[in-house]
Amino acid sequence: MARNGSAGVLAAPARRLRDGVAYWGASPLRRRRILTAYAFMAPSLLVIAVFLVWPMIRAFQVSFMDYSVLGGSEWIGLENYRNLLSDPAFRNALGNTLYYAAITTPASVGLALGLALLLNQAVPARGFFRGAIFLPVVTSLAIVAIAWTFLLDPDIGLINYWLAKLGVHSGGWLRDPQWAMPAVILVGIWKNVGFYMVMYLAGLQSIPREFYEAASVDGATAWQRFRRITWPLLANTTMFVFIIAAIAALQAFDQIYVMTRGGPFFQTETLVMQIYRLGFTEFEMGYAAAISWVLVLLIFVLSLLQVFYFSRRVVRY
Amino acid sequence: MIRRRLWLFLAAAALAVFVAACGGGGDDNEATPSQPTKNVTLTFWNGFTGPDRPALEEIVKRFNASHPKIKVQMTIMPWDSFFQKLLPSYGSGKGPDIAAMDSVQVPQYADKGVFAPLDDVYTDNVVPKDKLVQSAVEAGKWDDKYYSIPMNFTTLLLYWNKDMFKEAGLDPNKPPADWKQWQNAAVKLTKDENGDGKPEQYGYAIADHATIPMWPILIWGNGGDVVTKDGDVMLDDPKTVNAVEQWSNLIINKKISPIGLGGADADKLFQSKKAAMEVVGPWMTTGFKEAGIDFGLAMVPKGPAKQVTLGTSVQFVLNAKADDDKQAAAYEFFKYWHSQPSQQYWAVHSGFPPTRTDVGKAQLKENPYVAEFGEYADQSQFYLVGVKDFTKVNTNTFEPAIQRILNKKGTPEQVLGNAAKKIEAQTASN
Repeated sequence: MARNGSAGVLAAPARRLRDGVAYWGASPLRRRRILTAYAFMAPSLLVIAVFLVWPMIRAFQVSFMDYSVLGGSEWIGLENYRNLLSDPAFRNALGNTLYYAAITTPASVGLALGLALLLNQAVPARGFFRGAIFLPVVTSLAIVAIAWTFLLDPDIGLINYWLAKLGVHSGGWLRDPQWAMPAVILVGIWKNVGFYMVMYLAGLQSIPREFYEAASVDGATAWQRFRRITWPLLANTTMFVFIIAAIAALQAFDQIYVMTRGGPFFQTETLVMQIYRLGFTEFEMGYAAAISWVLVLLIFVLSLLQVFYFSRRVVRY
Repeated sequence: MIRRRLWLFLAAAALAVFVAACGGGGDDNEATPSQPTKNVTLTFWNGFTGPDRPALEEIVKRFNASHPKIKVQMTIMPWDSFFQKLLPSYGSGKGPDIAAMDSVQVPQYADKGVFAPLDDVYTDNVVPKDKLVQSAVEAGKWDDKYYSIPMNFTTLLLYWNKDMFKEAGLDPNKPPADWKQWQNAAVKLTKDENGDGKPEQYGYAIADHATIPMWPILIWGNGGDVVTKDGDVMLDDPKTVNAVEQWSNLIINKKISPIGLGGADADKLFQSKKAAMEVVGPWMTTGFKEAGIDFGLAMVPKGPAKQVTLGTSVQFVLNAKADDDKQAAAYEFFKYWHSQPSQQYWAVHSGFPPTRTDVGKAQLKENPYVAEFGEYADQSQFYLVGVKDFTKVNTNTFEPAIQRILNKKGTPEQVLGNAAKKIEAQTASN
């Protein structure tokens, strides 16, 4: 299990680039193979181009305009972006998004790892627990968020009722500006932790047993086995899970839209929520598009930083 | 087996595409205004998914049956998706011929030129203007033209739980008449028996967001306003501030209502016997009755400045691109809708009072609540009439301001002052 730095990450794209250049100089047989490969990719490339790339290009264009769906548009250059800098509503949404992501990402990854370690062992009803934890992943967040709203209702909700039985008098949850964000974070973690857990389970099961056997022979404790074998060998999984989790957190929308609509007084308004509000309820598409692109850049930069950080810890075995 | 299912699926998909194509394309065929006798299909979008849906469907059915040349093709969807789809659909030229929406929503669309002015509905006497509820008629005005005409109308009234009044030592048949009595009753009806600081019973449930406007009624009663119909921002007026001070103090200190209620939450509280009073429209009568609540209905108690309640109206609009045939067909539908028999049917089955003032109590006796909601039409005021950006002013400025005050993020004077400045800046930039 040699550490080979970033080569593992960079090798694949480099090879692909070489293939592309090599097309014109390749033999007819190889050319046909390359064409066949592209033919197979064509349907998904088309879908990505039409529903992802094209809208992004259009949004980029619109972000330089005063564009309000109907009633004309006007090229205003960087004004939307300049306005963002001094907009307290944008700063609020950015702060909320970072707060949400800073709690949700490590909490859900950590919890997923813990659950995976636990459910990778021979515990009773293992299949049931795995299923129960994974179930939220396959349900529609918008729909289960409605159920959560009922559970968290301070007057007629079950959670406050149970807490009251335990002698804990809890607050207004979604109605309380201090507690609304923790509540939607809770639902966000609950929704995604199962997916990350499954990723970790797959990672755990791909670690060869010999390492553990060898470690046991050498007299390693459980903690040492985890610290020296499991954790380093899960680095690839951790990178993947962390990046996916961070992206999901930075795009938080569904449960917030259903549970709080960004309220009370914008305390749970994330960037995507703000984009929706400005674009689709106030029809300020240009400004909303500018925020979208700021979010794209934010995610891009944060993902790059994570790749950079983790790629030095990637292992091959 | 699998193969057969696949075929069924494909057949269903093909059918769906076919039906969609017919629905979307059907209206391109009658673009010849010289032939008004041609068959016309009118697409009609609205959000009447609630208990009044069957009444609406029945009237449309009767209209289609009695007008062989016109077919009103109605699409009912939740208001959320209605408002998401409306503007893009007009942008792509596939917008509905007629639509219905709350009068407060009309200006932001009318301003974009997607609706046709409807002044000749009144000037040509298609619908008798003087027989309609006047405040509802005027609510359809934007930029000196009628861009919408009433479809329904109602006021909000005070609901009170008679059993709770009795229990609190109040006369169950005597609703509070003025603010003093109202506020005293609200405090008396709030009960925190286990002393945990969270009442088990609230005096008066007031919603502060995602609701039919409840706070503005309190502000009007004290002589204040949010934005007047002449466009003056009155949010920082001393009378507005004083009204918000009085009621927010009662909510914060006497806990007469939970903080942060949406409209549906407030309804739920009254319905689950956790609140003794609520000010809301006729759509809750059925739900409250089914919950076994013995409630009374009365005009909103008289405020220091005036006795006033909210008037609200969903209104018809016509696509600006409708040709002569479609316009004629739409006017025919409006005429039918506002005819006495239709209005009588609508009132009795939807629970909303009729839009016509000449449908008498005798004709409405099948539904005893209806007449009550119609009775105070003269004392009703519409919210944010003639304000273009309802969403910006109400949802994104006024409601958050009230929530800030209730959560003690500033005094009413400060918070409302800031909100007023924000609204003034918005209206100035338009």
